[in-house]
Amino acid sequence: MIAQQIINAVSLGGVYALLALGLAIVFSIVGLINFAHGELMTLSGYALLAALVFGLPFPLAVLVAVSCGALAAVAMERIAFRPMRGASVTSLLLTSFAVSSLLKVVFQNGISARPQAVAMPGWMTGAFSFGDFTIGVGPSISIVVSALALIALEVFLRRSVTGTAMRAAAEDFNVVRLMGIPASRIIATAFLLSGLLAGLAAMLWVAQRASVDPLMGFTPVLKAFIAAVVGGLGSLPGAVAGGFLLGIIEVLLQATLPAAIAPYRDAIVLSGVIAVLLLRPQGLIPAVRVQRS
Amino acid sequence: MPSLYRLHRAALYAAAFSIAAVSMASAEEIIIGAATAQTGVLAPYDQPALAGLRMALDELNAKGGLAGKYTVKLMIKDTRSDTAQTATVAQELIDAGAKIMITPCDADPSISAGQLTQPLGIPTLTLCGSAPVLTGAVGDVMFGTYPADNVQATAVADFAVSEGKKKVFLLTSPDTTYTANLPEYFGKVFEKKGGAIVGRGTFTMGQPDFSAEITNIKGLADKPDLIMTAAYEPDFPAFIQQLRGAGVTIPVYGADAIGTPTIKALGKLVDGVVYTAAGYAEPGSKLEAFNAAFTKYAGHAPESTYEVNGYEIGLILDQAVKTAGSDDPKAIRDAIANLKDFEGITGKITYAGTNRMPLRPVALMRYEGGEGKHVETLIPDASDVPAP
Repeated sequence: MIAQQIINAVSLGGVYALLALGLAIVFSIVGLINFAHGELMTLSGYALLAALVFGLPFPLAVLVAVSCGALAAVAMERIAFRPMRGASVTSLLLTSFAVSSLLKVVFQNGISARPQAVAMPGWMTGAFSFGDFTIGVGPSISIVVSALALIALEVFLRRSVTGTAMRAAAEDFNVVRLMGIPASRIIATAFLLSGLLAGLAAMLWVAQRASVDPLMGFTPVLKAFIAAVVGGLGSLPGAVAGGFLLGIIEVLLQATLPAAIAPYRDAIVLSGVIAVLLLRPQGLIPAVRVQRS
Repeated sequence: MPSLYRLHRAALYAAAFSIAAVSMASAEEIIIGAATAQTGVLAPYDQPALAGLRMALDELNAKGGLAGKYTVKLMIKDTRSDTAQTATVAQELIDAGAKIMITPCDADPSISAGQLTQPLGIPTLTLCGSAPVLTGAVGDVMFGTYPADNVQATAVADFAVSEGKKKVFLLTSPDTTYTANLPEYFGKVFEKKGGAIVGRGTFTMGQPDFSAEITNIKGLADKPDLIMTAAYEPDFPAFIQQLRGAGVTIPVYGADAIGTPTIKALGKLVDGVVYTAAGYAEPGSKLEAFNAAFTKYAGHAPESTYEVNGYEIGLILDQAVKTAGSDDPKAIRDAIANLKDFEGITGKITYAGTNRMPLRPVALMRYEGGEGKHVETLIPDASDVPAP
């Protein structure tokens, strides 16, 4: 029972960590909380559905869907955020809300207001047993994919020139530009990475939910925002820590609260967030340079 | 806008009177306001129901309108599935002169609209809101049209008992009256007929993860042989995907809100899931004829029985205006309230003697191989139905 709940918690925490990282990467570079991040997920979900409907084999469909998320993020930056470069944080925030609302309406009117079922391959709903407890294939994939993505991102940021430049940009963007690195490339890469993470998170999300709907991006982006704030806004390790913390608290509360108090779960989680921020106002693992905002 | 409509109506009345002076036959207009969700979570329910209503009104208008003499002008405004927005657009529709109000497929927005129509005596019908507390919460102008939650739950419970089910786990969400109360009504009937509730769990609507709840179900000392929930989209697919993914094969039963193309498209995942509908199109039935006519009208087959339910609202209004003999909202209200054994498309509909939630048949359906198969149609015994 307990081992089972720990797996549940790590699995959910991993998805939240991927989402929070996606927000944090963009925030660390351009100081924007992209509330349209959830719509990137939705878009990837619909791309997966479309690819499956067109008869692509499942692995290829996932690849197409994740790439769609990444490309959409780059396009979003090019169309909506680049013209706003240098604008105030508030303007950027409002722009991201506008993009988010616009995409939701496009999904609702262009596709359908009704959720669309996504048939996951049969093996994904299977489970395997270890002595006493069974582990679902879904949660296991979730954990493995999150771990691989986190490691790959870390390697990219540490070992590649662009990655190093991005880490430097998070500390002082102007110095990086003086070193001859084009700002647009750094920013586009940040969005590309955040889109990739959104796409991956969307696959895990859809695999657990078996449907995509126009509004499905709202809850994850909210959770990711909470995780990023708890972790320390703009700090990448913080986002991961925040994501796991949030996932673990949610599962533990769901598992242990008596039915009468269970409806207050979200209130309890958010009170916990306030408590963390009272003790550590900059988050669990604060960013090296605290963002202007 | 409202003033424009008044002007329009005034012009119409003037025209009508001048014609009346020449010949006694006169066409009048009656405005039906539809404060319904075009967007948001209720849209997948409101839109099919509204499509059915539109079809009925188009057909009636071709024959001269309600009772053959009141041409219907249907004004539709989007509530965005938001309770406060529902009140706003309901007020706009009232200002525009609506004499009948149509509200969304959920209790909360329907009640918020009902608060405005009740003092004015405007008859108000929810498209497929099925909470039995809905009509009592507003007052005598508010009517349900779909089989009420407690009636549906009784039908499902009767069926579960007849199958020999003994122990149930109830999964509820406090977020809406539907998701909170329907499984509890089921539990009441199930216990009364010898079954036991071995556990309860809750979820938040839109919650991503059911794993903790599912682990709790797996860990129950007293294993349930049935899970009853009123969860719908997108929670129901998420729940059942994760339940089956965790290796739990206990059957899951629900109610009308999972009788949708999305759930059907889940295929093997929902095999054995029992749900309810307002009717079943047996060969040669009126419902089968309706389905064919609707397909011709809308260009696609009905998604569920919400379409026919919407269509029947049109028929009920036509009958009520006939009985009332006028377009006076209070007279129409009285006529609906006294409707008895009205022949709809799905069966007989009765309001007389009820608290304005209709007595009507419930069809039980079961998903098998990606298709909804008819199990039986019944009207539960009134003495079994738990009080709201």
